[in-house]
Amino acid sequence: MPRLREKTKKAEILSLEEAVKRYVKDGQVIAFSGFTGFNRNPVALAWEAIRQGRKNFHVLDRHGSCCTWMLNAVGAIKIYETDWVGWGEMAGKLDINLNNQYKKGNIILEDYSHGAMAMRFLAGAIGAPFIPYYAPLGSDLYDDRYDALGKAGLRDGSHPKIAKKKYIQMEDPFYGDGDVMLLPAARPDVALIHVTQCGEKGTARWRGIGTIDKELVFACDKVIITCEEIVPESELRKEPNLNQIPYFTVDAIVECPYGAYPSAVPFFYDYDAPFMRGMDAASRNEEDLKKWIDEWIYGPATWEELMTKVGAKRLMELKADSTTGYSTRILRGKKPAPRVTVPLSVARSGY
Amino acid sequence: MKKSIEELMALIDLIPDEPAKVGEFILPELMAIAIAHEVRNDDIVFAGTGLPMVGIMTANLTVAPNALLIYEAGICDGKTMHVPMSVCDQRAANMSSTLGGLVDTFGYYLQQHFVTLGFLGGAAIDKYGGVNVTSIGDYYSPQHRFTGSGGNSDIGTMSHRVAYIILQEKRRFLEKNDYTTTPGWYCTDWKDGKWKPKKEVWAGTPFAESGPCAVVSNFATYGFDDEGLIYLQTTHPGVSVAQVQENCGFDLNVSRVEGETAHPTYRELFVLREFVDAELIFLPQKVEYPPEIQKIIDG
Repeated sequence: MPRLREKTKKAEILSLEEAVKRYVKDGQVIAFSGFTGFNRNPVALAWEAIRQGRKNFHVLDRHGSCCTWMLNAVGAIKIYETDWVGWGEMAGKLDINLNNQYKKGNIILEDYSHGAMAMRFLAGAIGAPFIPYYAPLGSDLYDDRYDALGKAGLRDGSHPKIAKKKYIQMEDPFYGDGDVMLLPAARPDVALIHVTQCGEKGTARWRGIGTIDKELVFACDKVIITCEEIVPESELRKEPNLNQIPYFTVDAIVECPYGAYPSAVPFFYDYDAPFMRGMDAASRNEEDLKKWIDEWIYGPATWEELMTKVGAKRLMELKADSTTGYSTRILRGKKPAPRVTVPLSVARSGY
Repeated sequence: MKKSIEELMALIDLIPDEPAKVGEFILPELMAIAIAHEVRNDDIVFAGTGLPMVGIMTANLTVAPNALLIYEAGICDGKTMHVPMSVCDQRAANMSSTLGGLVDTFGYYLQQHFVTLGFLGGAAIDKYGGVNVTSIGDYYSPQHRFTGSGGNSDIGTMSHRVAYIILQEKRRFLEKNDYTTTPGWYCTDWKDGKWKPKKEVWAGTPFAESGPCAVVSNFATYGFDDEGLIYLQTTHPGVSVAQVQENCGFDLNVSRVEGETAHPTYRELFVLREFVDAELIFLPQKVEYPPEIQKIIDG
C-alpha cells in the first residue's frame, strides 16, 4: 500500500561513511541511480557499503552497473531482480562476476524486461500496488516455470518487499484492448542516487537523461543522495524547473566529488571506458579479480585517495566539455575523437 | 595532412554513391549498412546498443535523414556528433528534442505506439523471428547465460516493424529457442500453454500486427512471409545458399532469394568511417579506400 510516513523527513548532510553506516543494511532491497555502467552510478556509496562489509542484498533494479559489478565481485548480492544482467555495454557486456556467482548457485536471478521494470518503478513511485503493461505478452518471461523467486519459495507473502506473484495476465476490462500483464510495484528499501547538485535541504538536480531516478526516489523508503557539490538551496530555486528531486523525499546528503567514477556525470566528467574495460578483463580471472578488489576497493583509505590514485591526467582527460557535457579528449576507441562543431545530420538536413 | 570534419563534410557529395567492390569493405560495415537500408525516411526508430546503433546513425546520414531516433534511456531525436558507447551516453543526447527517462521511452513513446521501427541485436533467433537474449540450455543452470531482455522484448514486440542484427551459427538460428525472450510471429499463449500466432495472443491490443520484418546476419539478409516464417532474401558476397543453410538450424526457405546483398556504396562507407564511427569503437580496424576514392578525399 502507499506508505504513510511516520514523520516528515529532514535530510541530513553526512559523510560517506556515516551515510552508509546509518542507512545501508545487510539484506536490504536496494536500487541504484543512473543507467548501466555509463551514467551517474552511485559508485562511491556501493564502494563504501562493500568496505563496511554489507552483504546479502536484494538488488531490485533495471540493469547492472558499476555498482552491481563491484557487489557481485565480492558476492554481496543474494537476489537480483532485474531485466539486464550486463553492466558495461560496449565496455564489458555481460557481468562475468554475476555469471560466476550464478553458476555457483549463490544468487537468485529474476528476469523481467526493461519496460516492465520501468513500469514497476512508476507504480512504486505513484503509490499504486500494480500496473498494467502489454509487453512482452507470450514471452518466456511470463512462463510460471521461470518465476525464480516463486520457485525459491519467497512469494509466500512473508516478505513485504517481494510481491506474491511475478505477474498476472488479464483481459483489459475497460476498453477490451486485449490482454495485459499486471506487474507488481517496485518498493525497495533504499535508493542510492548520485546527482550533480544538491541543496543543503535536499532539493536535487541532474543534467542529461533522467533514466528512472525520479521514480526510484519516490518508490524507495530511504533515499541517500551523493552529489558532485552541495549548493545553497537558494541557487537551485532560481530555476526550479531544472530540479527533479524535492527535498522531502531525501534522508541523507553526501558531498562526494567524482562519486560516480568510472561512470559519467554529464557536464562534470565522462565515463572512463579504458578503466571499465580493465574491470571487465579483471573479472575474467579469479586472481586478477582478487588483485583488482584489493587494489581498488580495499586499498585506498578514502574515496579521495581512490581518485588521487586514478590521477590528475586521467581526470583531466575525462573533464566534460562545458558545451557538450562529455569529453572529446579521452581515447575511447582506436582513434581520437574528431573536433566537431555541428552534427553532420543537422548540417545536411537541419532538424 | 589530416582533414577537419568540416572539410570532410564538404566531400560527401563528391564521393560516388556507387557500390564498392568486394575487398574494399569489411563484414561489419556491410552488416551495418545492410540494416540501415531497412530505415524509411519517416520512421520513428527505437535502437539498441552496438551495431544497431551504428546502422541507424548511418541511415540517418544517408537514406533516411528525417528518421527520428529514440534511445531507451530517455533520448528523443539526438543529433549525435560522436558515436555513443551506450544508449545513455551524453553523446546520444546531444541537441535532442527532449530528454526524459524510461517511462517516456517505454510508456509514452513505445506503448503509446509511436515507434515504427525497432532496431535490435539478439543471441539466437527462431524461424518465426522470436529472439533469445536470456539463456541457452536449462534456464536455471544454463550452458550460456546472456544479459537478459533489457529493452529487447519491449521494443521487439511493440515497434510496428522490427529489424535484428544477429551473428549466425547453426546453434543460433533455430526451429525453436530454448528461451523466447522476445516473441516473433509465433509465441506461447500462457493462458493455455499453446504455441500460436502472435496475432492471436496479442489480439485486441494495438500490437497484434507488429513484429519482425528483417534480419541481417554475417552470412545473409532475411525477410518474413505472410505466415511469419523467415526466408532467405540475399546472401552476402562470397557466401553460397548452401553455406547459409549449413549454418542454419532449421530447413530454411531459400525459394525467394534475390541474389547478393547490396554492397555498401563508397559514400555510405565514407559516412560510416569518417563520421559515424570515426573513433573506431564499433569497427575493428581502419579500412583503406581504393586509390580513386582516396584521391577525391585528398583533393
